[in-house]
Amino acid sequence: MAEWPASPSVIGKRIPRLDGLLKASGKAKYPSDVHPKGLLFGAMLYSPHAHAKVKSIDTKTAEKLPGVKAVLVIAGPGTTLRYHGDDIAAVAAETEEQARDAIRAIKIEYDVLPHVVTEAQSMAEGAPEVFKGGNVKKGRGQTKGKPEDAMASAAATIEATYTVPMITHVCLETHGLTVGLEGEKKATAWASTQNVYGIAGDLAQALELDRGDVTVYTEFMGGGFGSKFNADVWGTTAAKLSKMAGGRPVKMFLDREQEHCAAGNRPSATAHIKMGADREGKIVSVIAEGHSTGGVGNGTNMILPYVYRGVPHYSVGQANALTNRGGSRAMRAPNHPQSCILTEAAVDDLAEKLGMDPLEFRLKNLDPGSPMTPIYQAEIPIGAELIGWREKRKPRGKTGTGPIRTGLGMALHTWGGGGNPGKQVSCTIHPDGSVDIKTATQDIGTGARTILAMIAAEILGLQPTEINSLIGNSSYPPGQPSGGSTTTPTMAPPCYDAVTKARDALFKKVASAFNNARPEDLSLKQGQLWAGGEPVASWKEACRKLGTSPISVTGEFVDGLSSTGVGGCQFAEVSVDLETGEVKVKKIVAIQDSGLILDLLTWESQVYGGVIMGLNYGLFEEVVMDPTSGRMLNPDMEWYKLAGASDIPEIVVRAYSPPDEKGRQVIGVGEPPTISTAAAIGNAVSNAIGVRVTEWPMSPRNVLNALATASREGRA
Amino acid sequence: MTEQKPRDPGGLGGQSRRDFLRGSGVAAATAVLTGQAAGVLDEAQAAEESTKVLSGTVEITLKVNGQERSCEVEPRSTLLDTLRNRLDVTGPKRVCDRGSCGACSAIVDGELVYSCTTLAVSCQGKTIETLESFETGEGSVPHAFHQNDGLMCGYCTPGFVTACKAYLDKHPNATEEEIRKGIDGNICRCGTYVGVLAAAKAAAQAKKGA
Repeated sequence: MAEWPASPSVIGKRIPRLDGLLKASGKAKYPSDVHPKGLLFGAMLYSPHAHAKVKSIDTKTAEKLPGVKAVLVIAGPGTTLRYHGDDIAAVAAETEEQARDAIRAIKIEYDVLPHVVTEAQSMAEGAPEVFKGGNVKKGRGQTKGKPEDAMASAAATIEATYTVPMITHVCLETHGLTVGLEGEKKATAWASTQNVYGIAGDLAQALELDRGDVTVYTEFMGGGFGSKFNADVWGTTAAKLSKMAGGRPVKMFLDREQEHCAAGNRPSATAHIKMGADREGKIVSVIAEGHSTGGVGNGTNMILPYVYRGVPHYSVGQANALTNRGGSRAMRAPNHPQSCILTEAAVDDLAEKLGMDPLEFRLKNLDPGSPMTPIYQAEIPIGAELIGWREKRKPRGKTGTGPIRTGLGMALHTWGGGGNPGKQVSCTIHPDGSVDIKTATQDIGTGARTILAMIAAEILGLQPTEINSLIGNSSYPPGQPSGGSTTTPTMAPPCYDAVTKARDALFKKVASAFNNARPEDLSLKQGQLWAGGEPVASWKEACRKLGTSPISVTGEFVDGLSSTGVGGCQFAEVSVDLETGEVKVKKIVAIQDSGLILDLLTWESQVYGGVIMGLNYGLFEEVVMDPTSGRMLNPDMEWYKLAGASDIPEIVVRAYSPPDEKGRQVIGVGEPPTISTAAAIGNAVSNAIGVRVTEWPMSPRNVLNALATASREGRA
Repeated sequence: MTEQKPRDPGGLGGQSRRDFLRGSGVAAATAVLTGQAAGVLDEAQAAEESTKVLSGTVEITLKVNGQERSCEVEPRSTLLDTLRNRLDVTGPKRVCDRGSCGACSAIVDGELVYSCTTLAVSCQGKTIETLESFETGEGSVPHAFHQNDGLMCGYCTPGFVTACKAYLDKHPNATEEEIRKGIDGNICRCGTYVGVLAAAKAAAQAKKGA
């Protein structure tokens, strides 16, 4: 079994990204930036209607417009369009302006059909069907023990309906690619993707080529968050347009509106939850009935109760309500943020009902059977100290008398993030001392490129900047798609394996040149080759002994270097204006474990980023659908709200990293830190204002609604 | 396509406002005039209208990063699309394309602008700077972003770097709160604000020290 070095010189340090200056100077070329010779610009025509049948489509005028080189109909007569943003046709033209004109010149007659865009519309009696066979699909239900009996015997119970809206990924670089053909048999693409290896297969299929005939580059890409694993209709359409235009490359990136409507979303989630506890504050029963919508795709698979899986009795039922919206896609920790909000809100409400400190209540209800429990038990006091829980926290509603109230809230989360066998990394040591690491994975902003270089540098006694970390090319050895926080734990082991084997091969080849040393006497550190405790040559001198033959090794997954399963907790401090409903987050504390941290600088960035994405989810984000027209009302970046610099609170990030934690090896951290932020913010708001806001986000409307409802019912 | 020579090199390339609006497409004009929420369009009518109007092309020269660059644009072409699609200056990014997110930021005659809502023809005779022309050595804004990890996927980064430099050039003694306001016209999705603010403070400090 392989092991990471006990006293590393590079791993665990704060290493700036190798490609950071390229990005910060505007010189990094993204797939949407490349401009191969003969480039044509693509544009998509998409449905303005939530539900319609294409009666006729006429592209003749469009085809004749100046500059237009190819027009392709995707949805011919008779095709049903199922959401605002559904693909209809595409154009390639000499300029982008011409392509957009041509899109507008395509004449279509629609048979507009009745739609359902909200869960209520979808689930109503006699609702129009999104697909034949009904809108409501029963999801995975679960029952353990006797929840009804246990609920009846509980000392305290709560019952409420909690709701989280659908949000979208808002990748800043929209979905798309640039693709061209050389002759009949070779295609090159620059794709904004989380799956450079896999997308080559999609394009090959669309072009009826072999996978090896297609080369895809993803040197850089502008965000995916789970939504960019496939070539998609627009990607394969661009390839077809290129073919129609004699192979000229076509650049096809969605406009912001279609990006919002069609390129993925995180499904909504609503659950009616009953939760009961005994006198000692142990949760004895949870009964939950939920529904959600992921448009024409899957809804949320709610994990209820979340984290607190030791509850002896529970029953969960859930349904996916299909709607005329674009289909959901994986989004940073699929299902977890919703499950966390629904559970943690109910847990908080029940603690309140019992008159218990919600922190103590959580500690009491950790799952004794879970390996995460000792981690939570260690993390929670650290977070409580950093947010000032003991000094600052007051019981719900007892937070003062003025119009501005402050409150504290917390929530727990968990994630897998492990490594999988099957991927490869190659390492080549050249006689000039340069080192190439190659694998067909990609850096979606996580720092994957830098991580691979750090591992190689550690083993070879070099600096990360001395390693050529070559990724983002589908012709390299098969690499991991960036999903599930698996990239680093999956790619680190084969990287370690390749570089270790290459180093050993180097030792074998050059040992005799250094006073007839034996390979096992040699080691590498500080840029030098050492033999028997003495530096005998610089790295470059050592490599020169290779003569004309480089060393090239392909590494495979090895056990002992990565594992899975993390726990984390987050705390939020907020202030709320009771008159305007405006919430300001003052401080967030995030305690996160993730085994052995490779680059502390980019690790922290990931946790900060996760927290900020969670803050957006907690305060601002929601897809707003117009029930009447069936269209998304905010498919832009003005009314689809995201935080700016002024919205960012003090954020305190701590790695939970005791010495034995490193023994758990490398675990991914992309997803976990975004899970519990919105739940903690919602709980803090309820603590501040004295009533539960049951609907996320914590927007002025939702906060004022909660206050008004409570006031009407005489609760506040 | 009808050729139209600019009558006034500094103006809208000889197009009337009405022609400009028509040339830019009824869809865009309607969106501007009635707002996003009411943008339910009669597609057929929009198509009909826009095909009647042929926009002209104009040859313009722009001074970009110290170089005179000529290209053909339409009067409706934005500075952003002109830089990216015609001049291969791809530092500024197209993200919202509606002046909401700042990814397209450029500096025109010393002023920070959203190049996605600036017409290329209106920039003739002006000095256009994009971040590709910025210093990158120690003490520079790009260097500070790199060292403080003020970037992740990096797609918003050019806009933040440009906004940050433009702000610090004018406000060398800015406090952190002022810097936050100064870069509030930019949006990041990866959530790099903590690194961005650290970078901005480091760059401001370096500027004072210099």
